[in-house]
Amino acid sequence: MTDESARSRSASNGAVTTAGDGGTPARPATPPSGIRRIRMPQKLRNLEFWLLIVACVINAAAIVLVQLGALGRVDTQLVLLGAGLSVLVFGLHISMRFVARDADPFLLPIATVLNGLGIAMIYRIDIAEGDAGWDSAAVRQIAWSAIAIICAIATIFVIRNHRVLFRYTYLAGLVAIILLILPLVPGLGQSRGGAQVWIGFGDIATFQPGEIAKIALAVFFAGYLVRNRDSLSMVGRKFLGMRFPRGRDLGPLLIVWALSMSVIVFQRDLGTALLYFGLFLVMLYVATSRLSWVVLGLSLFLAGAIIASQTLDYVGNRFANWLTPFSDERFNADPGGSYQLVQGLFGLANGGLIGTGWGQGRPDLTPVPQSDYIIASLGEELGLAGIFAILALYLLFVARGFRIGFAGQDDFGKLLGVGLAFVVALQVFIVVGGVTRVIPLTGLTTPFLAAGGSSLVANWIIVALLLRLSDTVRNHPRLVIDG
Amino acid sequence: MSELTLVVLQLGFLILLWVFIFAIVYALRSDLFGQRVRKLQPEAAGAPAAASSFPSSPVAAAAPTAPVSTPVAPAGADEIASSSNASRLVITSGAKSGVEFPLGRDEITIGRSSDSAIIIRDDYTSTHHARLMLWNDRWMIQDLDSTNGTLLNGSRVTVPTPIPLGATVKVGATTFELRR
Repeated sequence: MTDESARSRSASNGAVTTAGDGGTPARPATPPSGIRRIRMPQKLRNLEFWLLIVACVINAAAIVLVQLGALGRVDTQLVLLGAGLSVLVFGLHISMRFVARDADPFLLPIATVLNGLGIAMIYRIDIAEGDAGWDSAAVRQIAWSAIAIICAIATIFVIRNHRVLFRYTYLAGLVAIILLILPLVPGLGQSRGGAQVWIGFGDIATFQPGEIAKIALAVFFAGYLVRNRDSLSMVGRKFLGMRFPRGRDLGPLLIVWALSMSVIVFQRDLGTALLYFGLFLVMLYVATSRLSWVVLGLSLFLAGAIIASQTLDYVGNRFANWLTPFSDERFNADPGGSYQLVQGLFGLANGGLIGTGWGQGRPDLTPVPQSDYIIASLGEELGLAGIFAILALYLLFVARGFRIGFAGQDDFGKLLGVGLAFVVALQVFIVVGGVTRVIPLTGLTTPFLAAGGSSLVANWIIVALLLRLSDTVRNHPRLVIDG
Repeated sequence: MSELTLVVLQLGFLILLWVFIFAIVYALRSDLFGQRVRKLQPEAAGAPAAASSFPSSPVAAAAPTAPVSTPVAPAGADEIASSSNASRLVITSGAKSGVEFPLGRDEITIGRSSDSAIIIRDDYTSTHHARLMLWNDRWMIQDLDSTNGTLLNGSRVTVPTPIPLGATVKVGATTFELRR
């Protein structure tokens, strides 16, 4: 929409401006008609500022309470390290005052609280396991958070308009495929807990490229679907009250399905496969608004998962653990038994309604309590009240993302916003559902909370992209009519 | 530090967490629940409502429908607005009567929310009231389940409907049309 085309016909209405817009002398490009850019940066950014202060107080309180509960004294070193994180978050806030003034004010505080709760819980488990210094996962988590937030600031500065990403649709697809294949390269890939999803040289600087791949995939799916959705949504045969696509339009769905199945087979990672496939299905549904795609896709995935559970040992174990975790045979099976799952459930049960309190439970009894099982650890120490607060934070985060997608004026931005928000939602569902035995347990990281650098970097980049999207959405020529 | 103090502090932490959540929910309440929308009075709501509000008098019931159905089809207005023949949206009544809004290829959202492309801040408009979008190069109007509805040439829009050039679209108390 160009400014030149914004013309005003009648002189009497030519220079109408409305009261209550903060009176900012907007950009000179604003046409004098009635169409203008709404500027209320102070309002949004100030709201964000106050919420951030509360968020940082919560994070500091969490660390102090961990020390009081587990050590019985306050140790200033880690509190200071945590304060460094707050400084970086405020750095992001200040850069947004310059380059993304109209961005959503809620995403950043929510992500900050989640990140801080994660650090506090990882620190608590370090105390239980006696790790300190650079061995301590909490210190590494703080370092990774710093890197992640710097990446987010860089993203906000580099990508000034999300439509730039539309140009790189197919490049994003290629990057996603390369990132997915990297862990399989001999000498570069590393296997942990059976899953071949890490890269790294020796023990230093390991990275999970699949986490970054999910962003590239969201960009690729959004661009691809905007270009091709007409053929995917318009034609087809009606059957059982739903319009099903033609056989030859099934190609993309089958390709993504094959991709997820190969992740299950070669990388031995059920959760990642489910994440990618679910992302594609939802974006396809949003782009075409046809339920038949979801029905087709879900049946394909279920069929694949059932075949995998029969033929692949590790998938079969996951299903058996899910169905009968308390049987002696499953509990004592090693490897692939349900010991971890059962310990996590007991931990959650021990937490009860309000939890044991920071530093007073025994989350370290569960294997990997700081990454895959951080939800169970938090559930034990903060109880149902705390878990629901965390889920509410995720809910608000995802709702903001959908809202940004809904308010978007261009199809690519809409799809990208929905895709990025949904990938966070689906990941939370897969992890929390796995820990609480709603679905079979699969190893994925809990966004923002779990220990792991790649996950933090990826999720903070998602925050940055959503902030950028929300800024462009609001920063659009508008017509304001006051009744 | 006594155990009681610790318990109180832990409870305080949970309360602080929930206070944070409710602060966010409170700050975006109008986004979550929408703003209060006043129902339009039947006389002002346009023809269909007016016609049904005077069932007792057949003459009165017939009369209002006639003048409304006539402006529906001014000469040459049957042509559907498309991306090639419509270039602007013109407000035809209300406070900003005469103001134009350029049509691009992007969707145009209409509502009270500050995210909308056309923001109508009166009590009769819903937060997300309606949207105009290009389907197969034709401009369509879709009502987003608004309280007072969206009227196209006096009839309520229920499904996405193509807009003829020069047809009157009414959102709340504001009317506009698409022109070349």
